[in-house]
Amino acid sequence: MVRVTEPAIRIRGVSHRFGEEGEARNVRALLDTSLDVARGELLCLIGPSGCGKSTLLNVIGGLLAPTAGKVEVLGKGVAGPMPREVAFVFQEHALFPWNTVRENVDLGMRFQGVAAAERAGRAQRALAAVGLEDFADHFPGQLSGGMRQRAALARALSLQTDILLMDEPFGALDEQTRMILGEDLSVLLAATRKTIVFVTHSLGEAVFLADRVAVFSARPGTIKQVITVDEPHPRKPDFVMSEKFTKLRNQLYGLLHDEIRKTMSAESAGPKTPGALS
Amino acid sequence: MRSARKPAGRLGVLATQAAFVAGILALWYLATTRWGVSRILLPSPVAVWNALVNVVTSGEFLPDLRVTLFEVAVAFAISATCGVTIGYLVSRSGFRTRVYEPLFAAMYAVPLILFLPLYVLWFGLGPASKIALGATISFFPVALNTITGFSHVDRTLVTAARSMGASGFALFRFVLLPAAFPVILAGMRLGFTVALLSIIGTEVLASLAGLGHHIVELSENMEPARMFAYVAFVVAIAAVLNFAVSLLEAWGRRW
Amino acid sequence: MVTATMPHRFAKNPFIVRLGVIALVLVIWEVAGRWLVDPMFFAPASRVGWDLASVFKTDGVPGAMGITLLELVAAFALAVTAGLSIGLAVGLHTFSRRAFMPIILFLYGMPQVTILPIFVLCFGIGPACKIAFGFTHGVFPIIVTVAAGVQGIKPILLVGARAMGASAWQELRYVVFPHLVPSLFTGMRLGMTGVLLGVLLAELYVSTAGIGFFTTQFTQNFQPSLLLGLIGTLAAMAIVLNAVMRRLEARFARWRD
Repeated sequence: MVRVTEPAIRIRGVSHRFGEEGEARNVRALLDTSLDVARGELLCLIGPSGCGKSTLLNVIGGLLAPTAGKVEVLGKGVAGPMPREVAFVFQEHALFPWNTVRENVDLGMRFQGVAAAERAGRAQRALAAVGLEDFADHFPGQLSGGMRQRAALARALSLQTDILLMDEPFGALDEQTRMILGEDLSVLLAATRKTIVFVTHSLGEAVFLADRVAVFSARPGTIKQVITVDEPHPRKPDFVMSEKFTKLRNQLYGLLHDEIRKTMSAESAGPKTPGALS
Repeated sequence: MRSARKPAGRLGVLATQAAFVAGILALWYLATTRWGVSRILLPSPVAVWNALVNVVTSGEFLPDLRVTLFEVAVAFAISATCGVTIGYLVSRSGFRTRVYEPLFAAMYAVPLILFLPLYVLWFGLGPASKIALGATISFFPVALNTITGFSHVDRTLVTAARSMGASGFALFRFVLLPAAFPVILAGMRLGFTVALLSIIGTEVLASLAGLGHHIVELSENMEPARMFAYVAFVVAIAAVLNFAVSLLEAWGRRW
Repeated sequence: MVTATMPHRFAKNPFIVRLGVIALVLVIWEVAGRWLVDPMFFAPASRVGWDLASVFKTDGVPGAMGITLLELVAAFALAVTAGLSIGLAVGLHTFSRRAFMPIILFLYGMPQVTILPIFVLCFGIGPACKIAFGFTHGVFPIIVTVAAGVQGIKPILLVGARAMGASAWQELRYVVFPHLVPSLFTGMRLGMTGVLLGVLLAELYVSTAGIGFFTTQFTQNFQPSLLLGLIGTLAAMAIVLNAVMRRLEARFARWRD
């Protein structure tokens, strides 16, 4: 059987602008971005602050309608949230603090529309996959940052979607926790063959996790270049020490450095509302 | 920066408080028995104590207590339901919030008990005027806190829920309401306290029944010991009710 | 791209919409007063405004208003002085704070209106009892806020001053007092609310003189227009005083934000 493998996600000419022309808030976040994401690949989006990577992620997931362009997910045009196809993992504060971990995972499935009889089993398996079975009845406030993000990942996994969109999921964590969670994610990816789009600031994280890395330019963001990381999943911890890793990381640095500089000088030169954080 | 409370320090604090209270009681006793302060103005603590025991054991406070509690319950029920409903409706739109919240805050700052004569004109001296005024006054903290509670739900939580397919009622029941609940509950506690205070106040000012009214009656009948006893009784009831309500609020915050 | 037209822009401004809401309330008031409610109990806004002059011409009303205002000022001044002193005394030392704060908080939470008859017995029906009652309502929030403000001073600031050789008096003047200012103004705002409540409660209670006399009279004679006028004026006075305190608080608490 010969079947042309369709890309899981197809992005065509997506631009987005916040605010209206003439308003002070008018910001062009994304400019004419096009990209294909293959099934089962882990694609990283990396770039300086404000370059539109989170915006693009929200557009892919149907949380934001772009001012121009279109996105297709699994062959269908995106018109709103697609809870059966796409699951999100946010940076933090996305777990409901008044529910236990188990209740959070259950609630996600309830929103999606999973029957009550199935939910308990799926929750247990998802919690086991991230190693949180012993903490299932704790509240998020009682857990460390790393464990909270594991719980958020369990919730996303329990939804059994083909696509996972992750917006700097490890951004609020310390370096060591990030490394461990990154390794665990790589193992999970090898086991489940999900399509993952992963936004990050960290060069090392991008090279370690991704099959391909899309590098964004400064605002208004567009894809400057896409780098391929040719290394099979699950990636061993010693990949980080290899020559291939260092070369790729340096390549990324070279591409990003100027964009980061541009972003910083634009922030200090341009008009700013008092007390605004970039 | 919290330093461990040394047991010795704690003992010293308690001892000082006990000494202070004892000192006040001693002054009170001396003032009425030795220093010739008029018994009509300040009854002796012994007389007050005896009157208190008498009041409590005879149960003569019951009819008035019933009236007062009834008024508080009805007034609070009205203000809580209206406050939460209207607060929620206002919070639905950022624009409506910016229009109405300052209005509510401004009205809350006025001592609304000022309108008592008006309410008496409209509703007479019976429970209706007290319930109406109590409900009016306690509406504002409930509504304001409800608005704040719903407006300040973490946006990430709402986005996450939407991404998983939640909308409409599911979003309200599983995300908005639990998130806003602690703040709303705080507002209701404030509303209850305010309702209690304003009803006792209106009973003192213009009423035919209730605990506040009874206190005024005793004052006019020159029964100071009994009056002091009732004051102590009302203070105790208010403290107990407020404590119970704050326990409820703490339960609501248990996560 | 659609540009906003004039009426569209008006509808988007919360301030204007708020004015619109108030205007709507006035219209309903007018309609209800004129045609819907028995004139024994209610009066339309226009008549209240018209009768405002006669409210003030009523013998004794301006006098009562003036005295009430003086009572407010006196009670407030006393409350601030006492509140500041006691608040400092209690707040400066951890021991005194831990010992006396619970007592103060207990008194603060007590329904003081229950002892209003005692105040009248003690001080008579003149301004004294109203000033006293206003004082007791206003002093507690000031004590509590000032004590909290003093306690909130970061110890590192005091240590720093001492390390640079400051004496106890200089510490007080250059570190404690400036730190205290925002809390003091917050306390004063809350104190003003309390003083307003206390003075007005006492005034309303005493039905044989002052404001209370006139509210009783207008109520018993079924003169809603005059009653509304009197209450409205007092309410306006309360709103203005609160607004002034809020402005002062915002002005002096600037460095906090």
